[in-house]
Amino acid sequence: MHTIRFFAFLLLLGLFSSCEKAIDLKLDNSAPQYVIEGTLSGEAGSAKVLISQSKKFTDDNSFIGVSGARVSIESDGNVYQFDATGSGVYQNTALKGLPGHTYSLTVKVNDKTYTSVSTMPQPVALDSIYVVDDEFSTNKDKTKQRLATVTYKDPTDVQNYYRFIQYIDGVKEKTVFVDEDEFTNGQTVNSRLNFNNDNDAPSREIRTGKQLTVEMECIDKPVYKYFYSLTNGASGDGNNAAPSNPMSNITGGALGYFSAYSITRKTITVPAN
Amino acid sequence: MKKNGPPWFSNLIYPLMKLHQLLRIFFCIVLMATVGSKHAFAQSPLEKTITINLNNVPLKQALDQLTAASGVRFTYNEAVAASNVKITINAKGQSLRQVLDVALAAYPYSFTELDQDVLIRYDATKPKKLGADPAAKPATGKFTISGTITSKQSGETMIGATVRVANGAQGTSSNGYGFYSLTLPAGDHQLIVSAIGQKTVMIPISLTADKKLNIALEDNAQELQTVTITATPQGGRDLKSPQMGVEKLSIKEINDIPVLLGEHDVIKTIQLLPGIKSAGEGSGGFYVRGGATDQNLLLLDEATVYNASHLLGFFSTFNSDAIKNVSIYKGDMPAQYGGRLSSVIDIKMNDGNNQQFGVSGGIGLIAARLNVEGPIQKGKSSFLISARRTYADVFLKFAKDTTINRSQLYFYDINAKANYILGDKDRLYVSGYFGKDVLSADNVNGINWGNTTATLRWNHIFNNRFFSNTSFIYSNYDYEIKLKQDVNNYNITSRIHDWNFKEDMQYDIGGDHTLSFGLNSVYHTIKPGEISATGNSGIVSQKLETRYALDNAAYVSDTWKATDRFSLTYGLRLSAFSVLGAGTFYNVNSDGDITDFKHYNSGQVVKTYLNPEPRVAAAFQLNDISSVKASYARNAQNLHLISNSTPGSPTDKWVASTNLIKPELADQFSIGYYRDLAEHKYEFTVETYYKLLQNQVDYRNGANIFTNQPIETQLLYGKGRAYGAEFLIKKKTGRLTGWVSYTLSKSERLIDGINDNQWYNARQDRTHDLAVVGIYKLNEKWTLSANFVFYTGDAVTYPSGKYQIDGTNYYLYTSRNGSRLPAYNRLDLGATKQLKKTKKYSSELTFSLYNAFGNRNAYRIFFRDNKDDPNRTEAVKTTLFTYVPSITYNFKF
Repeated sequence: MHTIRFFAFLLLLGLFSSCEKAIDLKLDNSAPQYVIEGTLSGEAGSAKVLISQSKKFTDDNSFIGVSGARVSIESDGNVYQFDATGSGVYQNTALKGLPGHTYSLTVKVNDKTYTSVSTMPQPVALDSIYVVDDEFSTNKDKTKQRLATVTYKDPTDVQNYYRFIQYIDGVKEKTVFVDEDEFTNGQTVNSRLNFNNDNDAPSREIRTGKQLTVEMECIDKPVYKYFYSLTNGASGDGNNAAPSNPMSNITGGALGYFSAYSITRKTITVPAN
Repeated sequence: MKKNGPPWFSNLIYPLMKLHQLLRIFFCIVLMATVGSKHAFAQSPLEKTITINLNNVPLKQALDQLTAASGVRFTYNEAVAASNVKITINAKGQSLRQVLDVALAAYPYSFTELDQDVLIRYDATKPKKLGADPAAKPATGKFTISGTITSKQSGETMIGATVRVANGAQGTSSNGYGFYSLTLPAGDHQLIVSAIGQKTVMIPISLTADKKLNIALEDNAQELQTVTITATPQGGRDLKSPQMGVEKLSIKEINDIPVLLGEHDVIKTIQLLPGIKSAGEGSGGFYVRGGATDQNLLLLDEATVYNASHLLGFFSTFNSDAIKNVSIYKGDMPAQYGGRLSSVIDIKMNDGNNQQFGVSGGIGLIAARLNVEGPIQKGKSSFLISARRTYADVFLKFAKDTTINRSQLYFYDINAKANYILGDKDRLYVSGYFGKDVLSADNVNGINWGNTTATLRWNHIFNNRFFSNTSFIYSNYDYEIKLKQDVNNYNITSRIHDWNFKEDMQYDIGGDHTLSFGLNSVYHTIKPGEISATGNSGIVSQKLETRYALDNAAYVSDTWKATDRFSLTYGLRLSAFSVLGAGTFYNVNSDGDITDFKHYNSGQVVKTYLNPEPRVAAAFQLNDISSVKASYARNAQNLHLISNSTPGSPTDKWVASTNLIKPELADQFSIGYYRDLAEHKYEFTVETYYKLLQNQVDYRNGANIFTNQPIETQLLYGKGRAYGAEFLIKKKTGRLTGWVSYTLSKSERLIDGINDNQWYNARQDRTHDLAVVGIYKLNEKWTLSANFVFYTGDAVTYPSGKYQIDGTNYYLYTSRNGSRLPAYNRLDLGATKQLKKTKKYSSELTFSLYNAFGNRNAYRIFFRDNKDDPNRTEAVKTTLFTYVPSITYNFKF
């Protein structure tokens, strides 16, 4: 369904794209809050927790990691401690997630404890990826924007939630692509990864000869809800009448999420169109 | 621009600077008007000094000579004209009042001012005190006079025309079908009948039995020379009527106000009135007294219009060519209306000219209009067809870009009406509306939406005190989205439609009581969405469950004129909303997850919400020119519009109450003070209100409107409060007319699960809202107009910080609607030039300039990484319109 939402958005954008001007706004500043991004998949090295802090709107965009935290994941009675490996980065290189298992994250930082639970879904295979022309959008040089499409077979008997991550020549696309199977349960799905290259960055364009990689993560429902509400409510795009913080699966008052996901990926060289 | 102070300071001062400029311009206009036409209305006619000598001259002749000497016109009836009284006057530099006092002292005639005329009338009570109540005369019973008030030129029935007894306290006004009924003591009376834009007439009657009197008023609109003697309905806002929070506009007032792209628009015009606020540029919605846009009931010939906007809100669905009259009730609805919390906008279409055939129309920058009307049988039946279409899309065809030249962007609508007078007592009306918006790119992708309404009405006059109207009404709103992506075709449709039966009756019990009562029954069918998909997307064609509801109501209301000064309207509306099967209904826990569900069969009642809605209003007239009023009203609303986009969209969902979504309730208390100033040339109104809202609906954080889950899983409920004071000063006559309206208000919500369960500003909370409207008739050829609006920006949610997720910046929010968009201000200018005017043909050119200051008002503000310096974030303001000129050619023959 996100294709349809995206279309409605484009339509409105086209009509109303009149005059934009950067302005000075006096914004409230809330105290820095911890941001925890915890991930775990079946791949080695995927058990990783990033801890950072929120900043003032007027500050620059370099976010410095928080050190001195104690991070661990518990599963099936085993506790895995994480080591600090860089500024705000905590890893356990030995831990690999298994589908169907539940993982509990505990982060202790500055006398505060934050916890989260995530269950790793069964993997769904990403069958193929291909590139199509978009009907409306163009690149800066007026050529048609090209978009990736993913194909997979959605399993019938469970609710599935997906997150896709797109890389062009190794550059990660910042748009969040999430989907669920409420309209596609049990079907072979061809889903287009729509994005708006709002800053006309050439590195984001899908062009002939570039390497296109798409990772498909099967995520659990709370993580889906997190990313859905993150991209709809907190991206600052001004389309939502009531922007709000996303629904986090971390308790204790930190921002961010913890996701145990299974992953498959495909890479192609973008063919000529 | 060089900045001398902190940025917020320049933001603050900028609108003030503009305001200052505006005030200067406005005062210049006022000054011009006052100086330019001083002779015309600076003085009461009775204060004019004259020098004249008359000796034993018959009354009528004497009055003619007084007119010649003073320029003051006299109004009198046949009895005065035929009088054989002869009078003598020897005046030197005396006021007309003194002259008449002396001259008429010995005779049974009295005089009073009637706007710029002087009314001479037979007065049997003389030499007793002038202005005595005719009711004080020994009465030999009471009789009722009733009939229909129409326009002489067109045969159109006149809504809200006033019928008063000269110098007496009794009076009434015509209802939505032009019918009036007035019970008076037996004897002689002078009836004064007036309506906006019509010449006031005086009708002497002698009541010895019930009497039927149909009245035809003459049009007074185009006679600029005599504009200063246009008899104003005394107190255009009825001082005596207990009805509060009501605004009435005739289409003539609407047509003089400058608008975007020259398309006159009812909905845009009412937003200049106190308490009614625009939901912003690019939105067809409006807020009334702190309520949401879906809390307004829009009626077109009694049919509900569910989406009143064309072109995503830039134009409304109401074609002003086809409209006769607009009444707006701001929460204090009479008992006959119900179903929405904040307001009722009751729009009545023209009936069609039953005297002569006429064609009128116009060509503007983006749209063309045509209106045809005429008699089917002269004086008995008539028809009207009014249509318009935008043609901006024609120009798209010339574009080189294939995406653009294959795009479609237009709307059209058609209003049609016919009526037939079946006899003295019966009249039939059939009316309909059909409108469609088409917005598509590349011929295959697009959205179209539209309303359809049809109304069949039967007026029946049982007797001269008992009027009835029976209506059968159909309303429909639907949209369709077509989308083609690669090999996939999607088609999404949604629809709401109603079958509606309504019976309204008015019974004039006696001199003191008028009863209205009736029934209303609506069957709603809501199809929230149906998606059909072909291709390889895997989307399975499916249909959300259709919802059914039966919406019944009965009401009774009595208007009691307790004394000459005090009147009271009290009534009760009882609404019973039944949610019907077939369908599955759910229970949802606090996280929005379904806990259980139950299936109901077709026709089975899921739940009935019974709501008594009391309505009480009282008016106390302090003196001839001022009154105070107070009222209380409860309203219940069972249809809710679910929207989370900023400007509102055609795809917003109408949802009926269910087992979980409770009826929204509003209790409104209001008090007002009303005063006519300067011989009724000005009117001044202050109204204050306090409104409590229950069962308000809002989205959960992170809700998904495009879901096939029951909508209840996405919603939260709470309460609200809104209060404010509204000021209006209006100048109703003279070369310069217009008004200044100002509203000071607050609107808040408290919803469990939003803003940490604390009160927060509703988006439509606007502290200040000012509108200044001026229309100046420069001469026979030119009419100039200007309006200025200034209001506090909407309450919005701005970030209070930022953070990174997966390398991308996102924003941190603390309090819901805790920030403000920058204040909005805009000046619009308009000018109309009368080109040619004969009896048969007239045409005019209308020029307008929207946003004449070119002020860059914020349509929305969004936040992003700076394009040039990605290490910074910035706030970006989007502006829609600056300096939009337009020219429109209108004709009529």
